[in-house]
This record gives sequence, C-alpha cells and structure tokens, in this order.
Amino acid sequence: MAFEFKLPDVGEGVAEGELVTWHVAPGDAIEEDQVLAEVETDKALVDVPSPKTGTIRELRFEEGDVVPVGDVLVTIDVEGEEPDAEPETTDASQADAADVEAATKAAESEADATEAEGDETSATGGRVFAAPSARRLARELGVDIETVSGSGPGGRVTEMDVRASAEEAESETTTSDSDSAGETAEAASDAESTETPEESQPAGNGQTATRATQVQAADREQTLATPATRRVANEVGVDVNEVPTDVTRDGEPFVDEAAVREYAEAQQAAQAADTEALAGEQEPAAATGAEPTAEAERERREPYKGVRKTIGDQMERSKYTAPHVTHHDKVDVTGLVEAREKLKPRAEERGIKLTYMPFVMKAVVAALKEYPDLNTSLDEENDEIVYKNYYNVGVATATEAGLMVPVVDDVDRKGLLQLSSELNELVEKARDRSISLDELRGGTFSITNFGAIGGEYATPIINYPETAILGLGAIEERPWVKDGEVVPRKVMTVSLSIDHRVIDGAEAAAFTNTLMEYLEDPTLLLLE
Amino acid sequence: MVVGDVTTGTDVLVIGAGPGGYVAAIRAGQLGKDVTLVEADAFGGVCLNYGCIPSKALISATDVAHHARHAERMGIHADPAIDLTGMVNWKDSVVRRLTKGVEKLCENAGVELIEGRAEFVDEHKARIVHGGDGQGSETIEFEHAIVATGSRPIEVPGFEFDGTHVLSSRDALSLDTVPEKLVTIGAGYIGMELSTTFQKMGADVTVVEMLDDALPGYEDDVARVVRDRAEDLGIDFEFGLAASDWERTDDGMVVRAEDEDGEISEFAADKVLVAVGRQPVTDTLNLDATDIEPTENGFIETDEQCRSGVESIFAIGDVAGEPMLAHKASAEGEIAAEVIAGEPAAMDQQAIPAAVFTDPEIGTVGMTSEEAEQAGFDPIVGQFPLRASGRALSMNDTDGFVRVVADGDSEFVLGAQIVAPEASELIAEMGLAIEMGAQLEDVAATIHTHPTLSEATMEACANALGKAIHTMNR
Repeated sequence: MAFEFKLPDVGEGVAEGELVTWHVAPGDAIEEDQVLAEVETDKALVDVPSPKTGTIRELRFEEGDVVPVGDVLVTIDVEGEEPDAEPETTDASQADAADVEAATKAAESEADATEAEGDETSATGGRVFAAPSARRLARELGVDIETVSGSGPGGRVTEMDVRASAEEAESETTTSDSDSAGETAEAASDAESTETPEESQPAGNGQTATRATQVQAADREQTLATPATRRVANEVGVDVNEVPTDVTRDGEPFVDEAAVREYAEAQQAAQAADTEALAGEQEPAAATGAEPTAEAERERREPYKGVRKTIGDQMERSKYTAPHVTHHDKVDVTGLVEAREKLKPRAEERGIKLTYMPFVMKAVVAALKEYPDLNTSLDEENDEIVYKNYYNVGVATATEAGLMVPVVDDVDRKGLLQLSSELNELVEKARDRSISLDELRGGTFSITNFGAIGGEYATPIINYPETAILGLGAIEERPWVKDGEVVPRKVMTVSLSIDHRVIDGAEAAAFTNTLMEYLEDPTLLLLE
Repeated sequence: MVVGDVTTGTDVLVIGAGPGGYVAAIRAGQLGKDVTLVEADAFGGVCLNYGCIPSKALISATDVAHHARHAERMGIHADPAIDLTGMVNWKDSVVRRLTKGVEKLCENAGVELIEGRAEFVDEHKARIVHGGDGQGSETIEFEHAIVATGSRPIEVPGFEFDGTHVLSSRDALSLDTVPEKLVTIGAGYIGMELSTTFQKMGADVTVVEMLDDALPGYEDDVARVVRDRAEDLGIDFEFGLAASDWERTDDGMVVRAEDEDGEISEFAADKVLVAVGRQPVTDTLNLDATDIEPTENGFIETDEQCRSGVESIFAIGDVAGEPMLAHKASAEGEIAAEVIAGEPAAMDQQAIPAAVFTDPEIGTVGMTSEEAEQAGFDPIVGQFPLRASGRALSMNDTDGFVRVVADGDSEFVLGAQIVAPEASELIAEMGLAIEMGAQLEDVAATIHTHPTLSEATMEACANALGKAIHTMNR
C-alpha cells in the first residue's frame, strides 16, 4: 500500500471541499510541497500541497467531486520506500469535528461506503468504465468520456452521467459575465447577477437525465436493474419496482444504483416527516398520478454545492437568524463626486484607480465610531453583544463563481490610496479565485454596491454574524431642492439593513444621517 | 469483352471483400452511400474462403471422428475412416454457401460488386485492373476509399510455397489425402490448430518452433494445457529450432532446422506446413500515388476512426494493424462506414476477444493479471478448474480452467483467460462484461444455466470475490 494522503482541514471549520482541478496524474513524480490539487472550500480556492516526495499512484476523486475532510484524496508511492510497504496513513487533518463527521458518515451504512469507493476508483488505471451505449452517446454529444464522473456501481459512467456532463458543459459556456463594474466602484452588488440562464436540453434525445425526486413510489410489475443494483436495493431495503425512473432499456423501466439510493433517502426523509406531522395517521397512498416526466425536459438540474451552496447557507442563516430592518435614504454626493474627480488623477499618477468605495469606507468607519452598536456581533451562546474596536470592512463582490465578500482590515488606520489599492487587489483575487480564506474572514461591517449594476434601493442581507450592512444605490443626477430652488445634483441612495436584535431603528437612522453628512461633505473626513 | 478504360464514380470505394470490407460496404450502403466493393480473389476474403471458416469446418468434422474413436470410456467403440476429399468437398460447400450469402447481402444493401485489383491513381481515383488478359481496366473516382486488403501468410526463406510440398495454411485446407508425415513450422495459433487437426486425421505431426514454447503470447499455464493435450495426441514438439531448408528425397522430403548453436536437425516428411504468421497486403495498392506511408511492417496506420493520414482514405482490418482478427476487421468496417456517413463513431472498445481452436480451445479477452498490474490496477484473480464443472465431466473433457481478472478496488472485470472446451463461445460473456463495465458481482450473481460450461465463468467471478461454491476460495 502506498501513502494515503487525506484531505487536510484547508480552512477553519471546513468540513468538505469541492475538488476543482488536479495538478497531477497517476505516475507523476512529485516533490514535497508541490501542489497536488485545487480544492474549493467555503468561499475560496485552496492549493493542496503534497506532504511527501514520490510518485502519484492513484487519484481517489475526480474533478467536481465533493471531498470530505479526512477522506483519502490521493495515494503516493513515497520515494525510497517499497511501493508495497505496509499501509501508512497520516492524519494530515487536525480537524476535529470534520474528522469525526467523516468517520460517522463512513460508519453510517455499508452502502454509503461502497458509493464512496466507487467515486474513488472510477478512473483507475486511466480507464473509464462505461457501456458502449454510453460511449456512443458521449461521442454524439461531444463529451470526452474521460472527463465524466460516474455515478453507477463502482463509479461506472452511465448515460445519465454523460448527459449531465454535456449539459454542464453547455451551461458553462453560456454563463453570463457579470463584470459590469460601473463608474462608481469595483465592488458590485449582491443582486444575483451571476445567474446561469436556463438552457434547454440538447435536442433530439429521448431520454432525460432529470430524475424525479419525488418520494412517490412507482408501482411496476417488472424493473430492469443490474445484480449489483439489486444488491444495493436489498441492503437499503428498497423494492426496485418502487423506485421512480424514467429511464428505459429495451422498453422496460431501468433503475440504477444512484436512483435506488436517492429513493431510499427520500423515503427515509418522508417517513421522518410523516411521523412528526401525522403521528398515528397512515401515510397517504403513494401517488398514482402522473410523474412529472413530461415536464422534466423543461427544467434543468444543477448540483447545489460549492460557492453557491456556501452563499445560500450563509444567506439562509442570516435571514432566518437576524430580524432584518432596512432603512432607506438619499444623499447629495455632488461634493464627493467633485472630490474624487480632483483626486483621481493624483491617484493615477501612483498607478492606483481611485473609486468611490474608499471614501464610503472611510465615511462608514467615521459613522461607526459614533454609533458603535453597528460594529458588533451577537454572541448567541453567551448572550453577549460583542463590540469591536477595530474596523474591518467587507465589500460584496460579484464573481463568476458567485458572491464573495473580501475584507479590508483596519480601515480606520489606512489612507484612501492604500484602501483603494488593497481593495482593488482583493477584488481581483476574488474574481480570479486566488483569494485566501483569511482575506474573506474577520469583517465587522459590510458594504454592498448594488448600484454598480443599477437600482435605487435594495434590502441587503446582513453578512452574519455582523449586525449591519450598507447598500449603495447608483449615483445619478436628480432634481434636488437646495435653498428653496430645484437644482440638478449628484444623488446617491443608501439602504442600511440592521439586525434588530442588537440595533434599533432609531440608531440605524442616526447612523445613516451621520454617514450621509460625511458623504455630502467628504472634507469632514479630514477631521478623523 | 474489352472494356477499355472507362471512368465511373462512387461515394465509397471499398477495396477487399473480406470480413472487414464487405461489412464496411454493407453498412455504408445502409447509410445511403453509393458503394463499390472491389475484390481481387473471392468474396468473403481469406476468412471465409481460406481461413477461419474452412479451418473450423475441418476441425469440427475431424473432431466427430476423433471423439468417436476415443469414446471407449463412454461405452462407444468405433473406428471411423476419414475421407479427406469428401470432407474438403463438404467444407467447400459450406464456404460456397457463405460467400454466396455475402454477395447477396451486399447486393441487398445496394453495393456494386466488382472483381479486380484496385490500385490508387491519386487520392480520389483508383484503377481497377480486371483479372486475365484483355479484360481491360476501369477507373473509379471516389469520395472516400476504405482499404481492406487484409493479409497473406509470411514465407520462410528456403520454404517458398508450392502447394504440393511446402504448404501455406490455405493449401493445407484443400488437400485430398492426409499426409503420413507432416512437419509444421511455427507453433502459433494457426500452426497449432492445423497440427492438431492433421494429427487427429492420422498424420504424424512434428511442430518446429523457433521459440521455446507453443502459443507464444499466451500465458504459460494457458499454453501448457493445449501443449500437453497435443503431446497426448502424439504431436512432437521441437522447440528452439529455426527451419533452414528442405529437399526432396525418394519417399518425400527432409526438412532441416538449426538450433542457436548451428546444430542441424533433420525431419523426414511428406509435406511441410509453414505457419509463422501473416503480413499485411499493401504492395498491390500503389500507395505511392497517395500520401500514405506504410509502417516498417507494412501496416497502414489509422486513428480511432479508422482514418489513414489521408483525408479521403480509410483503412481497416489486418492491413490496419494488429490484432489481425476478422471480428476486429468487421468492427472497424462498420466504424469507417459510419464515420464516412458523418456519424460520430469511433473504435473505443475496451477489449477485442481472441480464440484459438485447438484442443481444448482457448478464449481470451482484455487484460491478463500481469497486464492489469502494468496498467496501474491492483488486480484480483478468480479461477475455476474445468474438472469441477459437472458439464465438463459429462462431456468427458475436463482439462483447462476459466480465469477472470478484475480490479481489486472497484471489482470491475478487466479480462479473462479461458482454456476449455467451447472456450471460443464462453469468452463472449466475459467480453460483454468488460465492455459493459460489469463488476464481478454482476457476473457472479447472474443465474447461469445448469449444467453448462458457462457456470464456470460465474464461479470464477465468485471465486475472485471469495465466494465460489464449487472450488476452494483463496
């Protein structure tokens, strides 16, 4: 056995990572610390270095797989050791919870274990295991079957996998580019601008890759399945005749291992829900109605994972934990626009692109100093409000992978130019995904500039566990009443969301007023 | 009739009507192409006329007599006489029927059949030279050509084929009497098949082989079963000898062979059969008129879609490289035709099975354990001996085994080696298993008919999983 390298804890509290790119292949010679793979965790891409010098023996996961921390990622024939020496495993993962979780998961069911095993080996020996029909389909859809990760028994590539891969490739090429950074700033809004347009399926293929996820049991007389699938069905206690499928072979319904497992899980979930909700009452008879197979082609299913899922989890937690109140106002920023115009060429001389964001950050910090309730977090465990005497401002940034919030530390201690260059650098890193986890953490207050894309007001979601977030609308020339006369002025809208548990509406309004004073007359910042 | 040189046009010109060419022609016809199939000798090619089919006919016929003669244990006492002329006539009728069938199939697919030898004029034109004087020639313009000219037996210097004393495998299939003494040069699969057959017919066969074992290329334990049986039949093996020359004697001929130290051995014989391999036929094609350059061994190199380096010209079968097997040619023929018709076909099969019709037969597909290891797998092996098979016992034919090789981690079936009666049939199941990406469990848990030899493949897979019923699990 070779040295088994387990996915280490690549970031604080990260339980799993999506394997994005392999930098090595079986047979490659590698040096210690050489990068083996890129893994996407939480919100960043992390390089995973090799702990040993030797030769890559086997890659246990494929690109696109989600790898739990503590799972064997790769095996290495260590230089100077017999390739078939005793199995040596290292716990590169100091991770506590993650490890325990992985272990429990593994122990949970033998079935689960076989599935994981399949993932590991689908590309053993550089060979793809797939039926000729799946190979032919891959050629027809222009998919390189070597790049398809298999969901069948042992990691076999099925027709469904090939179709899914073809659709993935299609949607990748059509993903809209959200880099529409306007005049106002680099930072963009958390308005979901990176959505993938819904694409219809490639035409001309009768079968659909979308499997009905209903708990409804099918009720067939006969079902085709491989012996390995039947065995799995036995293990998880599922009758293959009840597994919903819209795949057929030779005109007979065909069920694969993935479908069996999905159905088993759905069944368990449904049973749990039923017991809770309708104790004593019989489960309503399995739906005999039409399965939504006809409609399936109108939809497309994408795995909810990686950055998308992280964003989702974070939003969900914030929105359902912190009662949000959003305060809207507008401010005459003609002075700010002029100040920036004046300073911009000076900054350019030093090679720095000066945007509005550093001014806003400075103004925010000035206002936070007067209203420290907004630079807090709520420690729910200890029932304490944490007041922060440092000012780390996160700036929401739209990237191709989704929303990221890089954090500029110690904004109060930095000048406009330094803030500008640091922010530009962080945004750049977030977009090319070289940003580190540390650079995404530790914020005390966040700003989102939805106006970069357009819009007057929005209701930003707080970057939990922070307690406030400022949204910036677009700067536009508007009619403005000044000294009893209507004059055209540069006007910006602001939307401040607060966690009402910690902050009251009055404070939010007062904070906003102070902030607006600084934005209206940026020379006040000189007093800071 | 003198045709002169007329020019016609076709979408697809297929050169050679063997199992590669005729299949390519039929498929191309099915796909709506205008197809012309040119054959210089006999429709069906070597396979149907002088190879696979006739040799199997003679082997089967001979086995009828052989089994009857050796069935005392089963309570049968018989001494059948072999009338080789009669047997060859029957064989010829089988061949005729099949070649007629091929012509019919081609015609039904709209394929135009032309007799003649094709040579390239350029990359879109070929001249068809008709056999015989005054038959003229014609030029065919084609959009695509598929070269399927096959292979011919290799001659050993000093042993030029003459059809009476020095026989090629083709000559050996059309003898009218059984030679008393036959020397076979070459212990490869063709040499072994024919030697076994002639020995069973009553000839006294000596096999002279340059290497030190029969059936080089097969694993030792596989080859051993066949060699032992051949020796039991009375075949003499002379290993480590290179045939050098022969001369006629009063009562036949003497064949001389030399070992590596230059020591000469002499073998008396009536006829000598030379079966040392086959070489591709490319020299008749005038490839110089194209940009195709054959490899050192005379093969036309092709890609996964059977394309030669030249856009308009494809090559399939023996002429396109090893393994030189009819079923590989047919598979490539279909692919070439589909690619020409614009389909995304490709030769991406994981394994090509092979069979040797010796006694017992050999069937192999995919990787041996050693090959699997070299490919980076951690192979596990399951084996089932024929002596534990009820069916083998009831056939009175228990030598051999079924072995399956699988990846230890994923349990995907990677290969199988079968040496057993009907191994050529049994191997098909393992081929399907490999191609489908089946795991050992898939085969082991499939119910196999009892009592059949096929149970042995099921048990071998179960054995690899440590749960065979009728043999010791390792």
